[in-house]
Amino acid sequence: MPKPLQDEANQSPYQKMLQDCLRGELRIVNTGLPQGQKRLSNLLEEKYPHVVCNDGSTHSFKRTELEYLVSMLDADEQKALPLPMLIELGANQAEAAVICEGQVEEKVISKALNMPVTCEERRIRIYKPQLALLRRRFKTTTVYVFSPKIIA
Amino acid sequence: MPELIKVRPTKIELVKLKRRLFLAQRVQKIVKDRLSILSMEFLQTARDTVEAKRKLLDELSKLYKALSVAAGYHGYIALEKELIATEIDLKVTAGLGNVAGVRIPSFELMGNVKPMKGYNLVDTSSWLDRAAQLSAESLRAIVELAELQRNFELLAMEINRTKRITNALEYIVIPGLQVTINYLNMKFEERDREEKARLKRVKVLVARE
Repeated sequence: MPKPLQDEANQSPYQKMLQDCLRGELRIVNTGLPQGQKRLSNLLEEKYPHVVCNDGSTHSFKRTELEYLVSMLDADEQKALPLPMLIELGANQAEAAVICEGQVEEKVISKALNMPVTCEERRIRIYKPQLALLRRRFKTTTVYVFSPKIIA
Repeated sequence: MPELIKVRPTKIELVKLKRRLFLAQRVQKIVKDRLSILSMEFLQTARDTVEAKRKLLDELSKLYKALSVAAGYHGYIALEKELIATEIDLKVTAGLGNVAGVRIPSFELMGNVKPMKGYNLVDTSSWLDRAAQLSAESLRAIVELAELQRNFELLAMEINRTKRITNALEYIVIPGLQVTINYLNMKFEERDREEKARLKRVKVLVARE
């Protein structure tokens, strides 16, 4: 498989700019990813609940959304739920996958979508209309991840 | 019609062009995925904005009605005198979120908004209390609309930018690279044919001697 250009000494300034612009597009899609996830119970204790992203910026959570999550989970589940939930976009444009660690995400998503969902290979597969619904409910507690398979 | 890129007709340039084409096609795929996600978010934000605006207008119309009743009861000058020193406890938290690479603001009113205070409760009527209560309630809708409207603008700008990139890739960059690669391939084939014809000619000349 061919690799992106390494030797660019002979390119015209326009071509160089074009290549930089294209590489920049690859970079920015995942810049807003959080460095790590925090548990719901920990976020509730923070005055301004947030996580730090890869580019050094912060991603803030809305208290109303956290409280909505609290309303559907018990204390143990609150300690187990990592936030923000990651929605992975892969090669197939028609569907997306929520990356999950355990049963808690499954419960949250099935309650939010009002339908049963199953976790397979640490992924909960959902379709576009369900994705829109999920994003409407959890605007700040979910983030998009472009799959490394399509970026690499 | 895509334009040919000016390159030297060498095999190395052909390899470089193929790599560039590969990168451009990969970027095009990702940019298209991103565009579809941004469009989905944009449409959702547009729907939410319309809903929030309608809600705010409803609340403001109720508020103005209550205020006009209070103004009618007390008179404009007396009402203005009462309201000149009023204040409201308001705490808004502002944060940033991320939607497929777009930094969007998020605003949230902290806790319950307390009613307006500072006016004389003895000299004023319950009409003014009602107007104060409604004004406090409409604050939540104002903050919500502020967030949605800014998100709407930012997403629209990003969609515009991404669309331009997609179009540039689809109609200029990739066709240009493909045309140049085809041109170089044809050039090399032509060279091969010339070389073969020359060798045949040399062979005939050698055979004659």
